Amino acid sequence: MSVFRRLFSRDDPHSLAAPYALDALEPAERVRFERHLKSCDRCAAEVRDLAEDAVRLAWSTAAPAPPALRDRVLAAVRTTAQEPAPQRGARARDSQLPPHVWGTAPPPRVRERRRAALLVPFATATAAAALVVASLFAVQANRTQDELAAERDRAREIAHVLAAPDARASSGRDARGRTIGVIASVSARGAVVTLSGYDDPPEGRVRQLWLMDQEGRPRSLGLFEGDTPLVASGLGPASTSLAVTVEPDGGSPQPTGQPIVQLALKTVGFGE
Amino acid sequence: MEADQLLIRVAGGDQKAFEDLYGLVSGPVYGLVRRVVRDPAQSEEVAQEALLELWRSAARFDPGRGSALSWVLTLAHRRAVDRVRSARATGEREQREARRGHGPAFDQVAEEVEAGLEREWVRRCLDRLTALQRQSVTLAYYDGYTYREVAERLRLPLGTVKTRMRDGLTRLRDCLGGAA
Repeated sequence: MSVFRRLFSRDDPHSLAAPYALDALEPAERVRFERHLKSCDRCAAEVRDLAEDAVRLAWSTAAPAPPALRDRVLAAVRTTAQEPAPQRGARARDSQLPPHVWGTAPPPRVRERRRAALLVPFATATAAAALVVASLFAVQANRTQDELAAERDRAREIAHVLAAPDARASSGRDARGRTIGVIASVSARGAVVTLSGYDDPPEGRVRQLWLMDQEGRPRSLGLFEGDTPLVASGLGPASTSLAVTVEPDGGSPQPTGQPIVQLALKTVGFGE
Repeated sequence: MEADQLLIRVAGGDQKAFEDLYGLVSGPVYGLVRRVVRDPAQSEEVAQEALLELWRSAARFDPGRGSALSWVLTLAHRRAVDRVRSARATGEREQREARRGHGPAFDQVAEEVEAGLEREWVRRCLDRLTALQRQSVTLAYYDGYTYREVAERLRLPLGTVKTRMRDGLTRLRDCLGGAA
């Protein structure tokens, strides 16, 4: 509460309820206000009412959607996985929140704690590093203990690369704004690779990461699982680029199609 | 079947229910996004994102806390506002607006209102607000300006804009209450 009072020292935070309901806060303000809502039942109730009022303004704007939109959305739905239902605990904790908050913000807590622990090596995070971190933690809070343990192990491997003194970051973007991010360390001979902006691959297909050498020969570095970063090991001076292809479930010994995205490793210290 | 019940089925992975739900909500979603984003191609993109989010996060919907339509419109509005602000930040939009001459937001709302009972209700209720209440609310909701930007455009103190927004919404509630 004291932090909050400092942030809004000149203002009563409740005065932000109406701008918030109209989506008229700046991003940082929005985040702060949502944090406040979680501890203020009165504000949450008020925001819920004001948000319902604001939605009524949308009554006057309905317009027939283009038919092509329907085709695209329904096609995407067939290949897009749904998020699991929020955990009981999470739901109880969020139950005071208006649909605004629980509907659009990811579940809190667990993520924030882990983020704090792992952010330390990132004092000088570049854009690509930020990308890796963002997708690292773009996970749901509801996981089993086993999944959490596996994730901790992976986080340790990742931290090993990230903490290397010569770790460097790079990223590539395709025409549709989807991104591949890499943080690599020559001394650790490893890299952490993330994809972002991609929908789930079609049913029965996976995204496979390849390391290309100077002769253009691919070596599989593993399969992407959702948003989870891949840790690539055994990178060497002959490694020139990373490529991602879409393969049948379980992956392929050799790429069977064109890469959907490719990234040269020169800028992160390899391939020279 | 109503949107709320459909959304509960959608949360269970029912694609047919999603098709039916799409039929109910796509018009309101697309129209709202189009009103805020303006550009047709970008509007389609944003509407698509919002409708896919409806599918992905359907399990978070709790009918005890609002209607399915409000929920998806809230998602869509936020995405539309985010899009229009980033477009504005890159300047495209300002240039476009400068070229065609940008009038006050509430006039456009009035002009763009077409047939339909709900449109008529909203228009009538917006007319009952004071000019400052109406401008504060519509510049934010329909044009995606932050309350700081609204204050700048209307040359009003921040506190006044916040109050006008609240009063405007509350008056709308009183006026539209019977139509809900």
